[in-house]
Amino acid sequence: MDLSVNLAGLTLKNPVIAASGVFGYGEEYVKVGDIRWFGAVSVKGTTLNPRAGNPPPRTCETPAGMLNSIGLENPGAKVVIEEKLPWLAQFGVPVIVNISGESYEEFRTLGSMFSESPLVSALEVNVSCPNVRAGGMAFGVDPRSCYRATYAVRRAWHGPLIVKLTPNVQDISSVARAAVEGGADAISLINTLVGLAIDIKKRKPVLGSVTGGLSGPAIKPVALRCVYEVSQAVPVPVIGMGGILDYRDALEFIMAGATAVAVGTAVLVNPSVPRSIVEGLIKYGQEEGVERISDLVGVAWR
Amino acid sequence: MSTPEIHDVLAEVMSVKRCRGGVYRAELVAPEIAAVAKPFQFVNIKVSPGNDPFLRRPFSLSRIEPDEGIIEITWAVVGKGTGIMATWEPGREVKILGPLGNGFSLEDKGLTGGFIAPLGGKAPELILVAGGTGLAPMYPLVMSARKSGFTVSLFYGGRSLESLMDTDRFEQSGCEVHISTEDGSAGFRGVVTGLFESRLRNLSASDIVVACGPRPMLQRLKSMCGQRNIRLYVSLEERMACGVGLCKGCAVKTSGNDPGYRHVCTDGPVFLADTVELGGE
Repeated sequence: MDLSVNLAGLTLKNPVIAASGVFGYGEEYVKVGDIRWFGAVSVKGTTLNPRAGNPPPRTCETPAGMLNSIGLENPGAKVVIEEKLPWLAQFGVPVIVNISGESYEEFRTLGSMFSESPLVSALEVNVSCPNVRAGGMAFGVDPRSCYRATYAVRRAWHGPLIVKLTPNVQDISSVARAAVEGGADAISLINTLVGLAIDIKKRKPVLGSVTGGLSGPAIKPVALRCVYEVSQAVPVPVIGMGGILDYRDALEFIMAGATAVAVGTAVLVNPSVPRSIVEGLIKYGQEEGVERISDLVGVAWR
Repeated sequence: MSTPEIHDVLAEVMSVKRCRGGVYRAELVAPEIAAVAKPFQFVNIKVSPGNDPFLRRPFSLSRIEPDEGIIEITWAVVGKGTGIMATWEPGREVKILGPLGNGFSLEDKGLTGGFIAPLGGKAPELILVAGGTGLAPMYPLVMSARKSGFTVSLFYGGRSLESLMDTDRFEQSGCEVHISTEDGSAGFRGVVTGLFESRLRNLSASDIVVACGPRPMLQRLKSMCGQRNIRLYVSLEERMACGVGLCKGCAVKTSGNDPGYRHVCTDGPVFLADTVELGGE
């Protein structure tokens, strides 16, 4: 089966992407897995200035998933451009840079900074992080601000532009349409769902910043519903994510309308998950007589 | 810097025993990990297949046998994951990622500040202070410290005699063992830092203290050793997901004016106490 997919002009050898936030900039991942099994990698949410991240505890396991409130710990755009991207380029895998701004102006600056680097295959505008006070999810809960954040990057960046959406909204399709109007070439969804856990001995929230983002298999049905809706609402490709653990999950997302899929929390438990998904998809294609993975995109509603 | 060898292996459970102190011990067949693991490194274990529990669990190595290809882990049942582990039967296979973290080596200049045992002088002392299950990772260090010519003593405390793990292997390795219990049912009556206080007075700048246990114990030790300029290393725990630096979850605040964080999995689990905030300060 031909696994290659076209994403906003970017050709990926397979549809499995490392989701932003579980891959860092690749330096840790290479110790436990082979980057080349990924069709593309989305690096850690990168901000204009370095961020130390949130106070611990930052993670908490929940049924079939986990909460996190990392808080975009990253070294800032300059270090990413000068040190992280040149190192990551050696693997020959397309690099998606996930960017998070605290203002429209910052989004534009980030877009302009990364347009200077030849090592960026696509930008992913993060309007959906639930764990930062300024910016983050605020831009993604309202179609108007999502449009403005997207447009701010679009004016400065002329390559493939992805907007990553939050499910913590009333009508995700209207936010997706706003992103496309703002210039998005693709939509990725979903980011985490806002959640809470309480420590019954301390009688206080477990996480240092009270709430966190829920990820893992627990959110898969919500993510699938969002992909199913948004892929029908917008004319651009969708990258589906949310609880994908194996090739069966990946196929569900593709059939729901995703052109590519991303694995996040699964990588934390099983670093070699991209390989097992790719091999599973190939086997499925042989058994079911599917020639191209792209033939399956959206078959559930087509 | 050489890339650490991390292996993701399917390890056979060779034995599971319930031991003194209400803890369990399992021997796992993992030759790749046993061959390279250093004291205080840890492994991240998927205790059962499926999504509940979902994440792996980090465990320190309580014994490393490179020749036999075996590692041992020790745990108390505190939740769902450790409860499942208590029902493990020999022959079962579990997914293990490791060895993780930097470990602690007395030959590592980065950790011991370039400390070298003085020739002909008094043998340098390694003092281990452990509370509760914090005793678990200490034994591999005893083995390596004895090879490096250190005199090793252990100060180990718990609530009562019933809560203490057995220290036979420490005694058999020539380690001087001092026990405290809060209820006085064995050894010194009081907390382990109280017991350690008398020894602290006789320590010199060439000696090293390594501690593992509850945060309040570590906080107290940091203050005690800080006042006397004795080098203290603490092994820290924090809620952890991946164990390898991907998620940046297991953050520990750095001390001083630097507002940053370090990570238990990639920067630790052992830290020079002066470099991290332990709280309560």
